[in-house]
Amino acid sequence: MRVLVVDDFATMRKIVKNVLKQINLDNVVEAENGKHALSVLNEDSVDLIISDWMMPEMTGIEFLKVCKGDEEKKKIPFIMVTAEGQKDSVMEAIKSGVDNYIVKPFTPEKLKEAIDKARARVGK
Amino acid sequence: MDVKYINPFIAAAQTVFKSMLAIDVKMGKPIIKNKGVASGDVTGIMGLVGDRKGTLCISFHERGALFVFKTLIGDECDKLGPEVVDAIGELTNIISGQARKEFEQAGVNLSAAIPMVVVGKNTEMNFITAIPIISLPFSFSVNNGDHETMYLDFSFE
Repeated sequence: MRVLVVDDFATMRKIVKNVLKQINLDNVVEAENGKHALSVLNEDSVDLIISDWMMPEMTGIEFLKVCKGDEEKKKIPFIMVTAEGQKDSVMEAIKSGVDNYIVKPFTPEKLKEAIDKARARVGK
Repeated sequence: MDVKYINPFIAAAQTVFKSMLAIDVKMGKPIIKNKGVASGDVTGIMGLVGDRKGTLCISFHERGALFVFKTLIGDECDKLGPEVVDAIGELTNIISGQARKEFEQAGVNLSAAIPMVVVGKNTEMNFITAIPIISLPFSFSVNNGDHETMYLDFSFE
């Protein structure tokens, strides 16, 4: 499974990559914001998106809305990551079609569970 | 200081270490510090404002910081370079987020800024409160059964 990890902070991308590695997902492509992620998606095929919320140029929620408004991209399971339980943001993400969200800190097991649920939601 | 303002920090440190690093930390005896000096060699600092105000610091000695970096990122690093500094900053951010969540459950709403990280022994810091600083040492096991300490220092009013 090829995973797109989107976060403006390189260290956080490395942390997520390290957690993914622990659940045997080591085929990862990175992007530093939503805009960059869209250009990656236009050139590459991925099976899962894990995106941060707050990013410059294009936020996670803006990126989510673009993905879920596109016939092809909306089939890719989309997980949002947040540092805390931001209820309003989570509600907006759910309304915008996010397939699952995960709150930091998370264990590899929790991430795997979130991935499985997100994949099931889009029928993968 | 009311214990209800201390417990969220303890819970946050334990939860984050357990979930992100798979490490069980053991809290030692809290110390009251009258001077704002970093407890370790590398220190993440986060201001908290809202219903209360204060400062949270997460500090490690070099060996502890390198071990945390290796566990968190999966890469080896032999000195306190920019990558380690960034990782300690992110860890501070996550612990602060978890502490804010714990406080919210206790009816205290807080928000935080972007963490800052300082490197150096005995670095002086200005906490934004007039009350003493509480330093909570959390011991954790590193290679060969040796132990290192994460210091969670805060002043909160």
